[in-house]
Amino acid sequence: MTLGLAVFAAFLVLAGGIIAIMLAVALSSRARSEQAAVQAQGYALRRWWFFILAAAIAASFIISLPSFPYPTHAATAGGEPHYQVIARQYAFDVPASVPADTPLVFDVTSKDVNHGFGIYDPSGALIAQVQAMPDYVNHLPFTFHVRGRYTIRCLEYCGVAHAVMQAGFEVR
Amino acid sequence: MTLQSNAGDLRAAKLLMWLYVDTGLAVFALMALAGLAMRAEQAHWLAFAPTTFYSLMTLHGIGMLASMAVCGMGALWYIMRADGPLDERVAWWTYGLLLAGTVAVVASVIPGKFGAAWTFLYPLPFIGTYWPSWATGSFLVGLALVTLGFTMWCAQMLGCVLSRYGGLRGAVGWDYVVHAKEFAAAGRTPPPPYAFAALLMGVDGLLTGTVGMVIGIAMFVHWLDPSVPLDPLWAKNLTYLFGHAFANLTIYMALACVYVALPRYTGRAYHTSTVLAVAWWGTLLFVAIAYFHHLYMDFVQPRPLQYIGELASYLSALPTAVVSIFGATLLVYRSGMRWTMGSLFLFAGLIGWLIGGAGALLDATIPINFSLHNTLWVPAHFHTYLLEGVLLFIIGWVFMMLEERAKRSSSVAVRWLVGAGIFGGGAIFLLGFYAAGAYEVPRRYAMQPPPGPEMASWASVGAIILLIGLALCLAEAVRLATTRPVGEPAVASASPAAAS
Repeated sequence: MTLGLAVFAAFLVLAGGIIAIMLAVALSSRARSEQAAVQAQGYALRRWWFFILAAAIAASFIISLPSFPYPTHAATAGGEPHYQVIARQYAFDVPASVPADTPLVFDVTSKDVNHGFGIYDPSGALIAQVQAMPDYVNHLPFTFHVRGRYTIRCLEYCGVAHAVMQAGFEVR
Repeated sequence: MTLQSNAGDLRAAKLLMWLYVDTGLAVFALMALAGLAMRAEQAHWLAFAPTTFYSLMTLHGIGMLASMAVCGMGALWYIMRADGPLDERVAWWTYGLLLAGTVAVVASVIPGKFGAAWTFLYPLPFIGTYWPSWATGSFLVGLALVTLGFTMWCAQMLGCVLSRYGGLRGAVGWDYVVHAKEFAAAGRTPPPPYAFAALLMGVDGLLTGTVGMVIGIAMFVHWLDPSVPLDPLWAKNLTYLFGHAFANLTIYMALACVYVALPRYTGRAYHTSTVLAVAWWGTLLFVAIAYFHHLYMDFVQPRPLQYIGELASYLSALPTAVVSIFGATLLVYRSGMRWTMGSLFLFAGLIGWLIGGAGALLDATIPINFSLHNTLWVPAHFHTYLLEGVLLFIIGWVFMMLEERAKRSSSVAVRWLVGAGIFGGGAIFLLGFYAAGAYEVPRRYAMQPPPGPEMASWASVGAIILLIGLALCLAEAVRLATTRPVGEPAVASASPAAAS
């Protein structure tokens, strides 16, 4: 399962839970209780809700940290092979091939407007991306583990041929 | 709190509110048709040139956000006006500037074919364009006029809350929270809940408008003299600070409607509490700094800002989910609430806000954003938030006003029909975005790779059902508006905006 589909599944569970709880609240409104009594219960529940959500936020933040895609100083300093990527309306200059199972860095920039350098694997899943900006070079560290033909798509709206701005390379 | 304005004063204020809200909803309807045309083109039901698609996309984006903002501004202005004096000339000037700006933007897009998206990300409006240079100038002038009007309106909101509640210290409820005993002993009362929405507009809205004008003027100067360079990263930060905060503020304006309207249906009071005041302090901060998540994939952005972006995006859920939505839900729980079109939409808007927020939080996680950034997941969550959140709050407010005026509500059958259209059609429409996002289909593509077209077909079906629901809703609103009121108009109650 791709990351996108896993996120979709998580989203459906969350949305289903939200709808179920809110429907229960809507149905409860057929009865009537004093506001003070409901508030006392509600505020106690809210305290728990706050701590649960705050804990979930803290946990999500901490868990996500090691998976941040940003380059380390060692990678940008030239410790790993670098491949230049230049985007322009409406094409990419990319290497014809890159090695598998080797940590590498794409040095991505643009000759004109903002573009997005989105890498789709041979199965069609978006596995990595970075913005291609004019006047700046974004360093994208990545290691490919699956050999095959990868497709590059522009992921930042860049003008009339944005949807057909594509390229590709082999991972060998 | 008592109603300080007499009925005659409020009639003029109400006229202004209806002008804003009706204008906003009319623009919404036109932009919804533009949106349907785009989804139908992506589904291969229609065929038009990419130039037309991207110009339509630009108009749809800016038009939709402006429509929701104008509705919210009209409603919040009226709520604050019903509570005390507020210079109507500012609201008229604002409306005039918004209208003039709209004319310039429409001119740039329809005859001019401007198509740099509503985000007009530098330097796209100037390089490789398929539209004439004057269209870029017209768009930037239009944007400046809209932003000027918005900023003026926000300045009035700031002045209003500062003068009514004892300066900034009083408006934020500082003494109420920090010196609670002395505050109570002095017999003081904190600002009402809806005043915090006005404060937010006065502070963050003013900041947003100012930033919008700075980037707009900078780009206008570049348009006049292309040798004046702009820094793309600086421009991107300003553009997204403006764009993100502007979109985010629309729901907080509409939240004021919930604060005022829900108590009327539930028969319960919605008071300011310490928790509510502190939650708004959080919102004041998070609305301004969460925008960094738009630049996650700009790796040259200073790294601490990426961490702040994720944390601020997450933390913005706390005041929303724990206080605003929880508080409104608690108001409904076992309340014996009257279920009418108004209360139905207000309550459903809370659900849309929560679900859209959940989609946004997932995407705000940097490792997830690495795969979902600029896919259709992004429009999925903000369409949920705007369509099934902000819009429903506004429609709920409109129906509350109409129901109070007519002293009657819609039949159960009409409510089911409208509900099935708006919620059922809306769900299909939105799932088309979410599912395509899950398959990492890029956004802003006139022609999408598979399974984009198939998802766009489902989304188009959903959009048509949704629009039928909205058309029924409009017909019912017209029926209520033209129904002769039963007996005398409602007597002013203890909450604002009562003289409907």
